[in-house]
Amino acid sequence: MVSTDTTTIPLREGFWTNLRDGNKQTRLIGSRCSSCGEIFFPKKEKNWCVHCNRSTLEETTLSNKGKIATYSVVMQQPGGGFYKGPVPYAYGCVDLEDGIRIETLFSADNFDQLEVEMDVELVIEKFYDDENGNEVVTFKFKPV
Amino acid sequence: MKNLSEMREVYVAGIGLVPWGVYENKEHYDFGSDAVFNALKDAEMEWNNIQAAFIGSVYQGTGSGHQVIKEVGQTGIPIVNVENACSSGSSAFRLAYQMIAAEIYDIVIAVGMEKMPKGPIKSTAFRPWELASGFNVQMANYANEAVEYMHETGASVEDFARVTVKNRKNGALNPNARFQKPVTLEEVMESRMVASPLRLFHCCPLADGAAAAVLCSKNKLKSIKRSISVAASTLTSGVYGEGIMMCGTVNSLKFPAKSGIVKLSADQAYEIAGYGPEDMDVVQAYDTMAPAELWDVEKLGFCREGEAPKFLKEGVFDINGKTPVNTDGGLMSRGHPLGATGLGQICEIITQLRGEAGKRQVNNPGIGLAHSMGAGPNSSVTIFKK
Repeated sequence: MVSTDTTTIPLREGFWTNLRDGNKQTRLIGSRCSSCGEIFFPKKEKNWCVHCNRSTLEETTLSNKGKIATYSVVMQQPGGGFYKGPVPYAYGCVDLEDGIRIETLFSADNFDQLEVEMDVELVIEKFYDDENGNEVVTFKFKPV
Repeated sequence: MKNLSEMREVYVAGIGLVPWGVYENKEHYDFGSDAVFNALKDAEMEWNNIQAAFIGSVYQGTGSGHQVIKEVGQTGIPIVNVENACSSGSSAFRLAYQMIAAEIYDIVIAVGMEKMPKGPIKSTAFRPWELASGFNVQMANYANEAVEYMHETGASVEDFARVTVKNRKNGALNPNARFQKPVTLEEVMESRMVASPLRLFHCCPLADGAAAAVLCSKNKLKSIKRSISVAASTLTSGVYGEGIMMCGTVNSLKFPAKSGIVKLSADQAYEIAGYGPEDMDVVQAYDTMAPAELWDVEKLGFCREGEAPKFLKEGVFDINGKTPVNTDGGLMSRGHPLGATGLGQICEIITQLRGEAGKRQVNNPGIGLAHSMGAGPNSSVTIFKK
């Protein structure tokens, strides 16, 4: 049976909010420590803060805006067969306005345009089609 | 905690290597036991003198060190397998050193070995979502750190290429290196892009290999003339706030680490040894990817942050320079058998301090330092003196 409907599924559950509400309202979900203020992404399973060593983590959403801290464009397939996305691809670090650095994939019309300190924002984008015909989406950061 | 400088002195009595390369028809226990036999011969000792064995490897599996010892002789001595990523070999060495310093044993062997697996390797240095996102490309993780280093210091991709050129030049003088042909700056810069800005020749090749060292107390030495003493052996694992992308951590912006693990392990080693970076006559730094040698020599204290490219260009790190670095060609020429690498670096420092390094011999070195990194993360520093 051929179906024109594709199901959209996230690469991982619980990484971002509002999957179906469009990109502008979507936020990454992390943890914030009410004692020391440190922020973590992805959200920690336990409420234990690995910085100040107290059980004081709370769920939080993160800013969808930041600046590129580092990046690299990968020209070959990663080893191990875990990665099912396109090649070449780009990943690196983004410093979010909240004061947390996160590791992320980048989305760009042309990876040559990526630069350190460039303004980027969160997008939820197609990553690959899985073997069941589902569209797997993941979070990326894209130049503004 | 006992003060290490007040414990008894530990000596390296003998070292054993096998050539670094691809061992198609041999297993880790074949060439691992060859390294053991070579170290015993070099130490002028018999196998039944050995009281304990610490054996480092990463991908060889359960009881892999026992498989090596089965090829040498089961004498009932304790065998402990050590997996500490790319610092497995140096971590095994450190345990052997501590056992003798603490007077628990008098003669101990440390071994590092690896037959690099073919096909998919399930990396436990990353979480499943990081693997699915493609964050486990180590060339790209170093490339990311290289981009940050370039941004902070003004270093160039050519500076990274100069590390490869120096190390491949040294490797051409090392009969055990996997690659014994020098490369030019142009060849590095024209090699295939792997993960921007790093190209193929900025990255070390993999290899199979093994290294071993027999350590003992002074009274057990057969030859004092060729013996080298261990002045310090430190291991620092991850600290909060320091990002090391090769094992999936990024810097904390709110609480950055005051000192990273390389500096911490080096400072601790200098304090125990009673020497500073200015006293080191020969150095092995961890050059899995060319730019890493630059920031490592800075963090180890051989120059200030951002100065390494200039010093490299001036020849400071050449075999005849003020601080020779990676005299055996480093990982870049030797290749990188994960569990053996740290101990291989140690063997080169011993060879140099003995004055037995042949065409790549540094002029009369008295003190040397070996530094290895590992996913985890780990940083280990070992200082030796003649």
